[in-house]
Amino acid sequence: MAELLKLEDVWAGYGDAVVLEDISFALEAGGSLALLGRNGMGKTTLLATLMGATHFHSGNMSLEGRDLAVVPSHARAALGLGWVPQERDIFASLSVEENLTVVARPGPWTLARIYELFPRLQERRANMGNQLSGGEQQMLAMARALMVNPRLLLLDEPLEGLAPLIVLDLLRIIKRMIDAGDMAVILVEQHAHQILPLTRQALILERGRAVYSGDSETLRNDRGQLDKWLGVGAH
Amino acid sequence: MKTLDIIHSEHQALAAVLQALRFVVDEIRSGKRQPDFRLLAAMVDYITQVPDKVHHPKEDNYLFPKLRDRSASAAELIAVLEAQHAEGYRMTAALQAALIHYQSIGEKGFAAFDTLVQQYLDFNWKHLNREETELLPLARTALSAGDWKEVDAAFSANFDPYAGAEGEFAELFHRIVNMTPAPYGLGAAD
Repeated sequence: MAELLKLEDVWAGYGDAVVLEDISFALEAGGSLALLGRNGMGKTTLLATLMGATHFHSGNMSLEGRDLAVVPSHARAALGLGWVPQERDIFASLSVEENLTVVARPGPWTLARIYELFPRLQERRANMGNQLSGGEQQMLAMARALMVNPRLLLLDEPLEGLAPLIVLDLLRIIKRMIDAGDMAVILVEQHAHQILPLTRQALILERGRAVYSGDSETLRNDRGQLDKWLGVGAH
Repeated sequence: MKTLDIIHSEHQALAAVLQALRFVVDEIRSGKRQPDFRLLAAMVDYITQVPDKVHHPKEDNYLFPKLRDRSASAAELIAVLEAQHAEGYRMTAALQAALIHYQSIGEKGFAAFDTLVQQYLDFNWKHLNREETELLPLARTALSAGDWKEVDAAFSANFDPYAGAEGEFAELFHRIVNMTPAPYGLGAAD
């Protein structure tokens, strides 16, 4: 697979404050990365940096060889970046189907394929965004990002605050998305044991620095690293 | 040590269904909700079939014998856990019968069903806790790399925390998620 995303010595943050220090990693097309770390260690900031929502201090950041750092944030979705933020940001006054079709771009993810992956959304397609439960809203946020047909999908804590039954259902859906290989996925989570089985690569951030960068399988079996960097979130 | 991850994942899936069952039964007892017998039947079927057909056979046939061979101190714990597996089968059979009776006679059948649900929940939390806090740590230290390779291969051939080896329980789990009222599932909250 060709390299899709590459970060080299990236320093970024908010205004003059530096949050991310010296971050380097690469992700191939169709690849998957678990972005791990305790609260406040820079995971969401890294996603925001990819989307152009932080101050990029220095380093190199490219998407398919193109310098991403110089692309304005509003133009990054058109380049192939899809972001599902923690806040979900679905349109409350639009129906489920309108939420999906309003952002649609050509590509392998069509409305029919989305409904096949999320049958619950098909059942609720006429309901308004504000009539959905938390789990359904999360499904809609993920489905809407897929309708953009991104080459790189960024999922920021998609399981946060959801009941265990819904978490397991979403994990099954995320696995199918990753296995389909239509796009690369970066998945932010605090609970490593839930997502390491799904991804090929893993990156752990500790106070804005990468303290592990390698394959998920190795990390999954390394209780020392998991306990040291993630503590209770490892299990 | 994929085995330990698999056991942990299967415990999580079972615990998720048990947590949802407790929520639904609490709601019926407090008068906030009418019984949805399709949902209750799906939940009782899941907690009967999946431990019986998917989870316990792997522990009973692969992990327990290997651990018994390698650790003298494991024998007593394994005997207790095996007895609990047998007791679990008996309790879920009773739970199925109580659910049928509850559906047949209506509201008057709820108390007996509720009592069995609470007993099963208490029993299962203790069983899961004992496996998580005693069995898995002991296995982690007692088995060699060669042992793990053998046990991992057997477990990996029969793994899906909620769907079963052939995916036969995937639809059942999915229906439980869709029917369980929010916030525990995707069903209507009221």
